[in-house]
Amino acid sequence: MKFKTFLGATALVALANTATYAADKDAADAAVEAAKKYSGTTISIVWEAGLQSLDPLNYSGPKWEKLTGIKVKVVEVPTDQMFTKILQDFKSGAGAYDALNVIPSWMPDLARAGALEPLDKYVDKYGYRDELQDIAAAYRDNQMQYDGKIYGFPDDGDVMLLYYRKDIFEDPKMKDEFKAKFGYELAPPKDWKQFDEIGQFITDKMAPKVYGAGFFRTAPYPQYMFQERFRMEGGKFFNPDTMKATVNSDVGLKVFSQMKAENKFMPPGVEQWNFVDNLAAFLQGTTAMTISWPPYGRWAAGYGSGEEALKWVPKSQIAGKVGYAINPLGRPELGVGFDLSVSATSKNKEAAYLFIQWLNSKKTSLERVQLPYTLRDPFRSSHYASEKYRSLWPDAPAYLDTIKLSGERGLLDLSLLQQDKYDEAMTKAISSLWAGEEPKTILDRMAQQFDAITDKVGVDNQKAVYKVWAAKPGAYPK
Amino acid sequence: MTSSISLDSAKPARGHAIARVLENRLPYLIIAPAILILLLVGLFPLIYSLVVSFQHVTMTENDRSFVGLMNYAELFRDARLWEALGHTAIITVIALPLELLIGFLMAQLFIDRMLGRQVFVALLVLPTVISPIVAGATWRLMFDVRFGPVGEILSFFAGEPVRILWTVNPSFVYPAIIICEVWQWSPFMFLLLLAALSNVDQSQLEAAELDGASYFRVLRAIVLPSIAPVIAVACLIRGLDLVRIFDIIWALTEGGPGSMTETISLYTYVQGFSQFETSYTAAIAFLVIALLTVITTVVLKRMELAR
Repeated sequence: MKFKTFLGATALVALANTATYAADKDAADAAVEAAKKYSGTTISIVWEAGLQSLDPLNYSGPKWEKLTGIKVKVVEVPTDQMFTKILQDFKSGAGAYDALNVIPSWMPDLARAGALEPLDKYVDKYGYRDELQDIAAAYRDNQMQYDGKIYGFPDDGDVMLLYYRKDIFEDPKMKDEFKAKFGYELAPPKDWKQFDEIGQFITDKMAPKVYGAGFFRTAPYPQYMFQERFRMEGGKFFNPDTMKATVNSDVGLKVFSQMKAENKFMPPGVEQWNFVDNLAAFLQGTTAMTISWPPYGRWAAGYGSGEEALKWVPKSQIAGKVGYAINPLGRPELGVGFDLSVSATSKNKEAAYLFIQWLNSKKTSLERVQLPYTLRDPFRSSHYASEKYRSLWPDAPAYLDTIKLSGERGLLDLSLLQQDKYDEAMTKAISSLWAGEEPKTILDRMAQQFDAITDKVGVDNQKAVYKVWAAKPGAYPK
Repeated sequence: MTSSISLDSAKPARGHAIARVLENRLPYLIIAPAILILLLVGLFPLIYSLVVSFQHVTMTENDRSFVGLMNYAELFRDARLWEALGHTAIITVIALPLELLIGFLMAQLFIDRMLGRQVFVALLVLPTVISPIVAGATWRLMFDVRFGPVGEILSFFAGEPVRILWTVNPSFVYPAIIICEVWQWSPFMFLLLLAALSNVDQSQLEAAELDGASYFRVLRAIVLPSIAPVIAVACLIRGLDLVRIFDIIWALTEGGPGSMTETISLYTYVQGFSQFETSYTAAIAFLVIALLTVITTVVLKRMELAR
């Protein structure tokens, strides 16, 4: 009897310890504590090659090893090969990867294939649910789950922002002339008509020294811009009843025509610009406005300019002159993003989970999003409010407030079964647009390609997935 | 006694027979492991791909059921595939004669002994040793509208800024690809033809010269017939390479604008590794194998080298 009482008491104490596990420690400490039992093992994580992977290579990987004794092997993979590599590993059953970086729009395909481990049981076991609530709603509510299960932790606050030259926009002469011509203040554009007018005005006044705007025109950015503008102008990608593509509507035509016309006030050859071309032009002061992901804003302010890894980034000539604003029409595209997931074929699932919980936790992620050389962008309410982050450069508060606002209003990337095929059709359509083909012809062809893809996937299957996607708060503007 | 005699005589006879068999089969036994490995490495993937081409395997759906000729029927309905084959044909038909002509002219130039010949030949051959993806990336920079030397040179001659979007403008994308391709592979033709020209019978050339034959007459009657087998082999090698062209186009245009410069290799890559249509990609691969086999057989027959 006494022995039974002892057993019961021990069990109660153990239970109480487990219950207070999460309460006493934050998610980072809890993950470290639990992971110590796997000391001496090695886990592998798939990470985007290039700057992104400097985070686990230089910072988080070594730190995790120091804290837990678990070694992290970083498998660097170019973005366009990540999906293939993850699926190949899953199909072969090799289990070469333990943790994964997954682009949220891939989640339906990867989850349906069974390549991702559902994380709910680990989230509950290690008390991570509360800290997940700190992730900005746009990412948490849209990029974390598929079919009601958690398959990844949103870990990158990708969202498009408008950057503009405050010194030009606040120049009294420019302001007066602009107001006299257009009847409203020279300020960050509220819609695309204003954007075009401001862009043309600055080009007319200052080119070739400064052009009104410049954009990254090669894949993948323009298709995200199309997705955003098309929806903000009232377009729908599909008829929800028939799943017939409706991208070739009048709205599609309007957006395509506007996008093409805008090249005229941008620097010559903008049609060929990639991420770096556009970044270089803006940082060197050649363009007065651009739209891109958050790292542009940090680098334009000169943040991280002494870093060895950022030597390729042209020295900013516009530090202190950069303004941040939400995109025209006020609902920017989230544009790509990354989730942290666990591979279903991993042989170290628990250790891999604990690593991604630690990476994604409030404490560790705040440190990671401040690494100047990586591309992880703020994605938690606590990041936006961080006093430390807000003091990194004079305009950092404005930068973080704009990211927060943009994230809250962010539009989701289209995410269907075999999404890469729809993306490819959009990318090819836009490259034809730059080549001078008629917008209507391109849009009709794109709609046909969308329909062919949908037919191949299965109209009913795709309809169900589209219905779930379209019901999400960030899918279509209300 | 009798039986022992017969047994004794049978032993050496059997020994001889084994030795004879071993002697006859030894070469086969020696090369058998190599043949087995070659079959495993070469034939197995081919057979496996053939099997997959009759299934419905994609990267996301693990459906191993047989679908008969569905993937092959799809080939005939796939307009993008036939466009890609058309683009491949355009590049091959334009680039191959240009490479042959430039290679031949260069070889003619260097056939005579001249000062620094070896250095010049080594320099001219440099593009061939560069990886095609690097050649494509280099030419992309050369064609860059802002910093590229091609634009600068054209502007100098035109007397005003010339801004050509070589990798975007439909009128210039094929010229851009062909310039890069010809730049890289004409030296290959040059090397082969230089070697062939060096072996043309000098006595025939001297006799023709004494007879007062014109340059073109000598070329038509003596030089070209002498180097024809080398030209045929060079054209076959480069022709097959051009049908498989991938890297240069990937680096320059990625098949764009739209699908305008998408060749069969690019399309196969996109289907297999971007759209994950594994079985359909296997069917495309067999279509390409069939086409290349037909072309190679016809060319070899014409060259009478098949024997």
